[in-house]
This record gives sequence, C-alpha cells and structure tokens, in this order.
Amino acid sequence: MSLVKSDPNPGPAPAGTLTAGSVLSVLSIPLAIVALMVLGSFVSPSFLTARNLVNILNAYSAVGLAAIGSTFVAVCGGLADLSIPANVAMGALVALGAQTLVGPVAAALLGILVASLGGLVNGVLIGYVRINPIIVTLGSGFLLLGLSQLLVGGGIVYSEPSAFGSFVAGNLLGVPVAVWTFFVVALILHIVLSRTPFGRWNFAVGGNYEASAASAVPVRFTRAAAFVLTGLLSGMCGVLIALSIGQARPIIGAGYEFVAISAVVLGGTSLFGGRGSILRTVGGVIILALISNLIVLIGLPTPSTGLATGTIILLVVAVDAYLRRRTGAE
Amino acid sequence: MVQDVDHGIALQMSAISKSFPGVKALDGVNLTVRKGEVHAIVGENGAGKSTLMKILAGFYHPDRGSIEVMGTPIGVMNPREARDLGIGMIYQELNLVPDLTVAENISLGAMPRRGPFVDYRSLAANAKAVLKELDADIDVGTRVGNLSLSQQQLVEIAKVVSRNPSIVVFDEPTSSLGDKETRILFNVIKRMRESGIAILYISHRLQEVMEIGDRVTVLRDGSNIETRDVAGITPDEMVRLMVGRDLTEMFPKLDLSIGDPVLSVTSLGRAHQFEDITLDVRAGEIVGLAGLVGSGRTEVARAIFGLDPAESGEIRVRGKAVRIRSPREGVSAGIALVPEDRKREGIVPDLPVRENFTLPLIGRITRFFLILAGRERATVQAFADRLNLNPPRIERPMGTFSGGNQQKVVLGKWLLAKPEVLILDEPTRGVDVGAKADIHRIIGEFAESGGAVLMISSELSELLAVCDRIFVLHEGSMVAEIPRQSATEESVMRAATGQVYA
Amino acid sequence: MMRLNIGTIGNVVVRYRLLVMLAAVAVFGGWTLDDFLTLTTLQSILDRAAVVGFLALGLTPILIAGQIDLSIGSIMSLAAYATIALQPDLGNVPAAFIGLGVGILAGVVNALAVVVFKVTSLVATLATLLIGASLALLISNGQPASSADPLFGLFLTDNFLAILTPRSVLFIGAALLMFVWLKGTPSGRNLYAVGSSMPAAISAGINVNGYIAGVFVLSGFCAGAAGVIQALSSATGSPIAGSVLLIPAITAVVIGGTRLEGGRGSSLATLGGVVALGALTTLSEYNGVPSYTQAVYTGLILILLITLDRIAGGDEGKTTRTLRSAAVAKQTQQGGTS
Repeated sequence: MSLVKSDPNPGPAPAGTLTAGSVLSVLSIPLAIVALMVLGSFVSPSFLTARNLVNILNAYSAVGLAAIGSTFVAVCGGLADLSIPANVAMGALVALGAQTLVGPVAAALLGILVASLGGLVNGVLIGYVRINPIIVTLGSGFLLLGLSQLLVGGGIVYSEPSAFGSFVAGNLLGVPVAVWTFFVVALILHIVLSRTPFGRWNFAVGGNYEASAASAVPVRFTRAAAFVLTGLLSGMCGVLIALSIGQARPIIGAGYEFVAISAVVLGGTSLFGGRGSILRTVGGVIILALISNLIVLIGLPTPSTGLATGTIILLVVAVDAYLRRRTGAE
Repeated sequence: MVQDVDHGIALQMSAISKSFPGVKALDGVNLTVRKGEVHAIVGENGAGKSTLMKILAGFYHPDRGSIEVMGTPIGVMNPREARDLGIGMIYQELNLVPDLTVAENISLGAMPRRGPFVDYRSLAANAKAVLKELDADIDVGTRVGNLSLSQQQLVEIAKVVSRNPSIVVFDEPTSSLGDKETRILFNVIKRMRESGIAILYISHRLQEVMEIGDRVTVLRDGSNIETRDVAGITPDEMVRLMVGRDLTEMFPKLDLSIGDPVLSVTSLGRAHQFEDITLDVRAGEIVGLAGLVGSGRTEVARAIFGLDPAESGEIRVRGKAVRIRSPREGVSAGIALVPEDRKREGIVPDLPVRENFTLPLIGRITRFFLILAGRERATVQAFADRLNLNPPRIERPMGTFSGGNQQKVVLGKWLLAKPEVLILDEPTRGVDVGAKADIHRIIGEFAESGGAVLMISSELSELLAVCDRIFVLHEGSMVAEIPRQSATEESVMRAATGQVYA
Repeated sequence: MMRLNIGTIGNVVVRYRLLVMLAAVAVFGGWTLDDFLTLTTLQSILDRAAVVGFLALGLTPILIAGQIDLSIGSIMSLAAYATIALQPDLGNVPAAFIGLGVGILAGVVNALAVVVFKVTSLVATLATLLIGASLALLISNGQPASSADPLFGLFLTDNFLAILTPRSVLFIGAALLMFVWLKGTPSGRNLYAVGSSMPAAISAGINVNGYIAGVFVLSGFCAGAAGVIQALSSATGSPIAGSVLLIPAITAVVIGGTRLEGGRGSSLATLGGVVALGALTTLSEYNGVPSYTQAVYTGLILILLITLDRIAGGDEGKTTRTLRSAAVAKQTQQGGTS
C-alpha cells in the first residue's frame, strides 16, 4: 500500500476548485453563527439586541486574545498552551499591583512583559530543548499560578482609579475598548500569520518540522516565538480584564486555556499543526461567546459551558483525526 | 513426499507478477529455493527484489502466479500467516524493543509462563539455547538498547530462528556492519544452512554473494534474468546480467569545462560519524560521494550544509572560509542540500507547491515584512514550467504530486536560491524514468552554468555515468579519490568495503 | 570537555534523583527541626502520600505504554463526590463502590477516545479533564457534600504498626502488586514493549490497542480509588478534590524516573517519588512555608527534571534511537498493507 501511495496518485481536488465540501467548509463558521443567533432569538427576545451582542463580544474579547496566540501555537505544531491562566493572572496582578509604583500605563506594560517572560520560558523549553508542550505548559502554569498566589497571598488586588483605567474599561465610538483591542489585534496577527515570512514559517514547521529545518527555516525560533506571543497576548488579556473590572485575583483566567483551545479547533485549525487561520479562530471565539450566552439565557448552570467546551474539543479533534486518517495525510 | 532433506524444494515461486499504478514491479518471476542452500538475489535498485520479498512475507499479494512452501501451495496470506508458515524476515532495520532484555525480545509475544508469571528461567534457557546455536556470545539479561548494532542484529536473527523457520530472508544484512561483524554473521548463516534452513540472501555486495551464496538469481526490471551456481559465475558477469545495457545511454554525460574550486572541505569531523574528511568540488564539476549505507556519506553532506554541523575542520566556498552551524548559515554561504529522505525532509505535504518552493528564501521576496504575493507566484510558476512540473499547478498541495515531481520541486526550490554548491543525497531514488531524466538534465544545467555539484547515490552506475570524480567513504573516513577515467563499479566497491590497495 | 562534565553531573543527578531528594529532605529536615526525623513523621508522610499515590500509580502504566492521562484529577473529583453524595441513598459501602465504578467508567471513555476514535491521548484526556471537572461542578452545584456518617471512613487514617495507616497500607500494597504485574507477568512485559517500540510489539503479535485501552481503564480505576479514599478519610466529597493533584501526581512519577516517552518505569520508583514529594511537602509545612509555595516547587521540580531527562537522554543510547526510528519507518511500510 505504501508503495502505491508514494507513486502517482490523483489526490484530493486541487485547491481553487469549488467543490461542495470546500464551499461548506468556508461557509460553516458564518452559518453556525447565524444559526446560533436565530436560536438565541427564539430563546429570549433580549438576545438579538445590539446591546446584548456587544456584551457577549465584550465578555469574550479578552480571552479571544489568548485564542489568537493559541492559533499560532497550534499551527506551528505546538499543540496548546496550558499556562494561559497563569500568564493571564500574572499580567493582571502586575498591571494592578505595580500601579502605585510606576503609574497605570507602565504597570500595564510591565504586566504584559512579565507574562511574555512566562511565554519565553515555555518557548525556550519547547522550541529549543524540545520538550512536550503540554507537559511544559502544564508544569509552568502550575508554577506561575503558585507564584502569583504567593505574590498576593491569596488575596485580591484592586485598581487605582486613573484616566487610563477608565479608558480601557470604557467605550470608543460606542464599542468597548476590549472589543476594539480584540479586533485590531486579530487583524494585525491575521496579516502576520497569512502574509509574512514568520507566518509562513509557522505553517511549515507545523506541516513538517524536519523538512522545514532542512529548508533553512528557523524552526526552533518559530516554535519558541509562538509561545512568547501567546504569553504576551495572555498578559494583554489579563490587563484588559483587570482594568475593566477594577480588580485582579490569581484565578482571574481560570479555564481560559480551554476556551482558547476550543475556539481554535472550532475555527478549523488543526491542533496537529500545518493548517489554520486567525479569522477562523475569531469565528470560533464568537461561536463560543454565543453558546455561553445561550446557556445563561436558557438558565443552565455555568459549568455547562465547560461541559460543552470539552465535548466540542473531543468531537472536533476526533473528526480531524478521522479525516486525516482517511485522506492518508502523514 | 520427498524425504531428501538436503535437496528438497523449500520454496517455489512461479510466474509472479505484481503491478503498482504506473509501474510493473514484477513480471513473471520464477524462483526455486532448496532446503539448506544460500540463495542470493542480486539486481539494481528497482529491479524488484524488495517487492518479491514483500510478497513472500505476506505484505503484498501477487497479481498473478503461485507460491509453494515445502510443497504446499499457499493462497493469499498476511504477514502473521507467513510467519506461521515458517518464513522469517531479517531486514536492514531491526525490529526490537530497546527497553526489554535480550531474552525477552527473543520470546516477545510468546513468553514461557509458570502460572500467571513469566518463567524467567526457561525464558533465559530458551534464549541461551538459540544464541548458542548461532554461536553468539551475548548476555541474555542485557537490555537490547545497550547492545551494539551488530549484536542487535544477532538478537533479531535469534528471534527469527527461535520460531524454527524453514525459510529465512536476509535483506541487505551487512549494510551497517563492519568486517568483523560480517564474519560473525556469515558463520551464523552457514550454521543455519547446515541445519537445513533455506536462506534467501539479498545484497548489493557481489563479493559477499560470491563468498556465502550457493546459487544466485539475477533480477532486472522486474524479471528474473538467470539463476546460476555461484561457483560458475564471476562478479563481472553478474554485473553484466544486472545492468544489461550500456550505461552511457542512460545517463548522457555532458563535457563541461571545469573551473576553480568552489567548495573546499578540509579535515572535517563530527564525533562518532566521520573524521578527517577532505574534498573539493570545482566549478562545472559533478563530484560523487560513494560509500555503503552507514559509511557517513549522508552525515558529511548534512554537516557541510549545517543540518548537523561539523565539530572540527574547515569549509571554504570560493576560497573564503565560512562558518556553518545551521542551514541558514549554509544557505547564506551559497550551499544547498537536497536531502536523502524526501518525504521526511524534502517537502511540507500540506503546503502548496508555491510555498514549498520559496521556503528557504522567503525573506528575499519580502517588503516591509510582507510577502510579495504577485512576485512569488510569477517566479515560482516560471520555474515550475522550466522543471516540467506535472501537472503545472503551483497552488496544489505538495503531497498530491508524484515522487518524481516532488523531487523536482525540492531541487527547484534550491536552484531558485541560486547556490554556488548543490549537494544531492540520493536525488533519483524512487523516481520514475521520465522524472529521472528531467532531474539529470536539471543537475547538468546547473553544472553547465558554473555551479559545483556534490552527489551521493547508492546506484553506482548512476555515479559512474554522471560524475567527473568520485570520493569514497568507508566507516567515516575518506578512503579513495577516483578520477572518472579509472572509476569502475569494482574499484569504487573495493574502496567502499574497505579493501583499498595502497 | 566542559559540556561533558555538565552532562555527567546531570546524568548522575538524573539517575539518583530519588535518593538525592530524600537525602536532601532528611538532612534539611533534621537540621531545621528537632522532631523531624521520627517515626511519626514517616507515618504522616506515608499516610498523606496515599491519595496522590493512587493517582501516580495509575499514571505509571500509562506512561510506560507511552500515553498520558491528564484527566485523573477530574476523575478523582467525580469519584470523591459520588462516594459521599450517594451515601444517604445507597449506604456507605455501595456508594464507595459506585465511586470506584465512576473511575472505571471514565477510564473506559478515555480508552474509547484514544483507541477507537484515535485521538492523541494528550488531547483526548485534556478534553475529558475539562468535561470531568465541569460535570463534577454541575452535579454538585459547586458545593462539597458532607458525610452524614463522618466516623465511617476515619479508620483509614488510624495508627497501624507505628509507621503505617490503613490507607498507606492500601497504597503500598497496590504499588507492590503493580510491581509484580509489571515485572513478573507476560502482560506486564508486553506493556513495556508497547511503549518502547510499538512496531516491534505489533509484529510480535501483541494486541497493542488492548493494552492501551487497558491502562486507561486501570488509570481511571486508580483515580477512582484515590477519590474514594480521600472522600472517606475526610468525610467530605469535594467536587474539586483532585483538580490540584494532577501536577503533583505527574511530578511524583517523573521523580521516580518513569520516562514520559514510554518504555521505562516502575511502580516502586513511583512509590519512591510519591514519598519523596510527600516528604518535601511535610517538611515545608513543618517549617511553616505557605501552601502556594508547594505549587511553585512542585512545578519547578517537574520542569527541571523533564529538562534534565531530555538533555541527558540526548546522549544516551544512540543505537536505541536509530533502532526506534528505523522501526517506525518499517511500521509505516507495514501499516499500509494490513
């Protein structure tokens, strides 16, 4: 069989040809969003109001940043970053805790920097030492979360009132600053992933690590950078939340790693590398936001979101694994 | 029933044919193997040796033909059934569990028990008995991962022998062994022969065939050409039967004017892989790097390019010393490497041809961090047309192309980077004839334009036909430099097997 | 030369890390505390090791088979809650058995996802980790259940032969039993073959999928046992009982020297790892170090050890690696035809 495969075979339909499958895969995310909105409008009359929709997006904008980082991680074959909650907490705690020392803007930047350092540790261990990313980020997340608890002694840090703080917590042209941030970052990083050499490297490294190395692609740097980027975006996520709600606790980002992973896989990015897109992850974030809002509106308890998220990850990855087996992609 | 153990027929394969899409791998092959003989099978790469053996091992089913083992006709069988019929296979690559002991490996899957527990005493006794039969001195309690490669091979043989096979196939068993280990292996094979086992011995090394074989079958282009007693044949005759045509017809050699040295390597070394390698390649020259599998030829190529950087020695490109510790530095020094394992190191199957093409030099078509999509497409399309990419669709995923076309893209991607030195590791392995000609043409054009080519190939006939000079490696050392005029299959092989005369 | 030295030292530390850790804890404990080196301390260490110990024991065959189970903490939470919450309806003993059953059931789900649906164990158990944790919170409404019969499980932590308690006996017994299985029976040996070289195991006729499914069910059972023991001895069924124990369990197994890449490991080494980590925890508690610190050093030890394992493993056994890659290459050849 293997001999048969290595020799001329017709393969799947060439890219650029419109097949029923390709049309469906392009439209599936918008269709899912529309379907959820229709469903929501039946469940509650207040669902399809501009205010509710903005609120829904606002609630998921911050974690959406982490999902964008996770897209890079998944595309470059780094599976997932489980230290997101720890880096979110670090970013949030430093951004509020350092306010009195260096001022709100510098404190926010410092928070992002500290979270990026967490990402750097992950990146070095995963990219350069080549240890399994799940184990590394599980361990570093546990460590950093412990550290953040040690930092505040298990308590809460409150934000000092400042112009910067109220700007971040407020609206710009009627849309929350968090939502703006999410969309602007998504747009920039979409261009980075799809149009720049660094983005190209991510696809190559995730598609075939050895071949990329043999093609002079900086494979170690690329993987490390994806984790640094995720650390940085997790830090931004923490800063946004902390300034929006005016306080920060170590558990501020609990569960965000799973939200990020499910947004990524819902968007059709393969956890096993080589395929993916930021815009589709944005779609995944919106779908998750709608689902969680529906769960609230229907009156189900909040842990149902976790149940739904976990099931989604399992199903989508099982289908992905099945399709990969069937097309014989190696 | 024939009772004569020594001369009975162990295996009879009649009129075996097998086709793969686009290739007729075997065409009416007949093979008769007697009990207690060593039956060698020789042939060039692609002659059908491995396909024939895979049919015997149950991995492939023949399209036509019949197989009889010990006089019993065999229908469709899977690998497990083949094993139960007494057919044992020993491959180049070993199939052992490094973390279990020698004894456990030998009995893996059928360990003796006492109650619910492993009967370690009889486990060890079994292993000792088999190893003693093979005259192999290995402690049965050692972890297999701690053994040397040749000891591991003996364990693999012991594993096969312990199942009391009637037919054992050795597929290039000496490719990673030194002289001493080869001696040991031959003694083992002789013992197996004496105990009445039919042995199929596949090798490229004709001297070995002369030494260990009783009869030899020559395969060429999927047909068996002749079966002869080894006593009545010379290596030269074997080569003639294997090749069967004039080499120069297949690989037309361009006569190019050869210029100054482009690549000079001095005393290159890397621990446990190769040492003191000195070679040079001049402009317009195609230089071969020959050696057996495991001789260090691939490692030398990877070191020059920076994939597994050298630890000592010097590399100069056009007279200028360069430091190469990564492929990036290799590329910027003007060196390109077309790697040995195309699937693993050559292509990213999910990415389109276009993106595979520009991977090494994506920085050169970038403005303000953005890839210039239009220029990328135009450049790649033009190049793909020059290479006869078939189909010429550069947006199709690389994985959907045939092996030959994938190889063209790998070659093309490096030519696009405009290197001074092109290193090719097995550039035509597993590639069909048409693509092979295209690839040779491309390499020739590169040399014609003043480039320097260093080429590795297991196919000696290819090296002999294409190269201006051939360097030969043996166990990590450079043992010979043979100019085109005096290079023959035999002179290269002698050097590669370590039998260099002065 | 320099690199070689660091490598050698690293190798020694990596190989004898269990002893190094235990010795360090003993010396430091004896130095900082007067009453540290006593039988009572040993008893307390062993007793408290039981819960993490069962998680780590379940993880050991999983890692030997080259898999990972991240869901053990969640399974333990579910089992712990079921054990207490069902007591009024079913009675104490049946409820405990239901707790074990929950563990087995969760293990079956993992096995199905990995073996039948071919989802990598990392991702599959990551998803079941989340599903299990959410399910526990959903069922319990986020509130721990308190036992109406708090005295029932107390015997588990009773004094027993000076250094033991019933639950530490259970743990040590399970570790010994597993040791006999792994080292002494054909199925135990086959499990090493599965994790060390799957192609060799397949070609030897070993039912690889069966073994992988089996270790997931076993790991679910062990996590269930950890949950039942924890719930009964504390008379509380917390829906988050196991959520913070995943990393300590992995760390304990890694301290013991079981390799994350599969093929090597031992339940007695895991026993040692659990005790070493428990000793460290006890020591830091006696010294009044805040509990968050435990998370910091546990994570630090884990990352340090897998980094050292990785670096030291890079030098060791080149033949092992070539052999393995060759075997993988062959498997892909064979895989296409079967």
